[in-house]
Amino acid sequence: MAAKFEIQGLNAWFGLKHVLKNIDIKIEEEAVTAIIGPSGCGKTTFIRCLNRMHEITPGARVSGKVLFNGINIYGNGVDPVMIRRKIGMVFQKPNPFPMMSIYDNVAAGLKLNGVRDKKILDAVVKQSLELANLWDEVKDDLNKSGASLSGGQQQRLCIARALAVEPEVLLMDEPCSALDPIATAKIEALIRKLAENYTVVIVTHNMQQAARVSDYTAFLYLGELIEYGSTKQIFENPKHELTERYLTGEFG
Amino acid sequence: MDSGLEELSATLYRMGELAHRAVLTALLECLNGREAYNEILEMSDTLVAMADHVEDKAFELIARFQPVASDLRTIKSYMKIAYDFARFGRYALDISFVNKRLGGLKNCEEWINSYVRDMGEKALDMVRLSIESLKSHDTQLAEKISAKENEVDNMYFEFLDKLIGRDTTTKCTVSSVLVVRYLERIADHATYICESIIYIATGQKEVLR
Repeated sequence: MAAKFEIQGLNAWFGLKHVLKNIDIKIEEEAVTAIIGPSGCGKTTFIRCLNRMHEITPGARVSGKVLFNGINIYGNGVDPVMIRRKIGMVFQKPNPFPMMSIYDNVAAGLKLNGVRDKKILDAVVKQSLELANLWDEVKDDLNKSGASLSGGQQQRLCIARALAVEPEVLLMDEPCSALDPIATAKIEALIRKLAENYTVVIVTHNMQQAARVSDYTAFLYLGELIEYGSTKQIFENPKHELTERYLTGEFG
Repeated sequence: MDSGLEELSATLYRMGELAHRAVLTALLECLNGREAYNEILEMSDTLVAMADHVEDKAFELIARFQPVASDLRTIKSYMKIAYDFARFGRYALDISFVNKRLGGLKNCEEWINSYVRDMGEKALDMVRLSIESLKSHDTQLAEKISAKENEVDNMYFEFLDKLIGRDTTTKCTVSSVLVVRYLERIADHATYICESIIYIATGQKEVLR
């Protein structure tokens, strides 16, 4: 296994509030890493630092290194837009572009990058929807609005949209928290499939989801990385007292 | 979750007491010549039913609460310990069956009777140690079983050696061989329980045998 990300001394602030404190962690390639921890521990901020989305928030600041394929994404001359294309994000609430068709939702990123060839667009839309396990359900309705789909379908549409620009990493911020158990199971199965070719980092407050889908689990508490290891080790035999207490429901 | 685990440990404590009584009764029966087969059969059946109950309850806790970390290790270990206690009952019944079928050791040569009594005391001591370790979750106490297990093992092989040198087979030699074999197995299960206690506390699968 190779590290996709090597994060060294990562700190993040919102104004004066220090939300991530000296995080050192390596995130493995073609695997699912889950970030768990109580509300406000910095989980979401952490993944937003991995594709330079944190700095979009006014007053937000980052220090430290995030080496992505060995290159510091906070280094001079690195284009954040390029980074965000390589490192896609799926959010808590499905957010397809509401005025666009299913087709256009998936094609939006490519069109924005100047791709006009209908053949290429058709192929990428189909491939992305297939990869997101949505093609069979929408192939006859590609011109319908993305907003007409169910919540779970919308979330898979957002995943297809993220995949269309050929990222290497998918960051997922509570991707199932607005979904019912069946839609959740579909997304989880999809995450496992995607991990064959992509690096996935998922933030979840559902510990059982972390246990089900991830290969590695990181536990954050009050902005610090408390414990990081294989999901099997973390859930069967956590080494740190705080992890143990969080997992067994003593706090959080 | 917590109340479920408390119920499981309360059941295990009762199982421990009953299992100890079953082994003690079987040994006394065998050494002193009292017939208690039906009494021990009932204890053994009760232990099996209680072990089934522990397993069902543990299964329910897993399904309902998806326990992890020390909770998960505890539940897994409690299922194993319930089985170990049920085995104590079963070996007690086996000893009692030897007594019923072949006659006990009361009228055997003095050295056989006292050898089995010594070994029986050691095995019972190990049963008590396993129960105490379970109640206290004290890993240092649990580790003490290792030396005792060694002693019982050695006694078992030494006993076999003593009998191998003889050229006659009697009711006494057959019964006593079976009984020491069951005692040796009881000692093994007491050791497994202590290993489980260490696993619950540390997550390490330590071998005390």
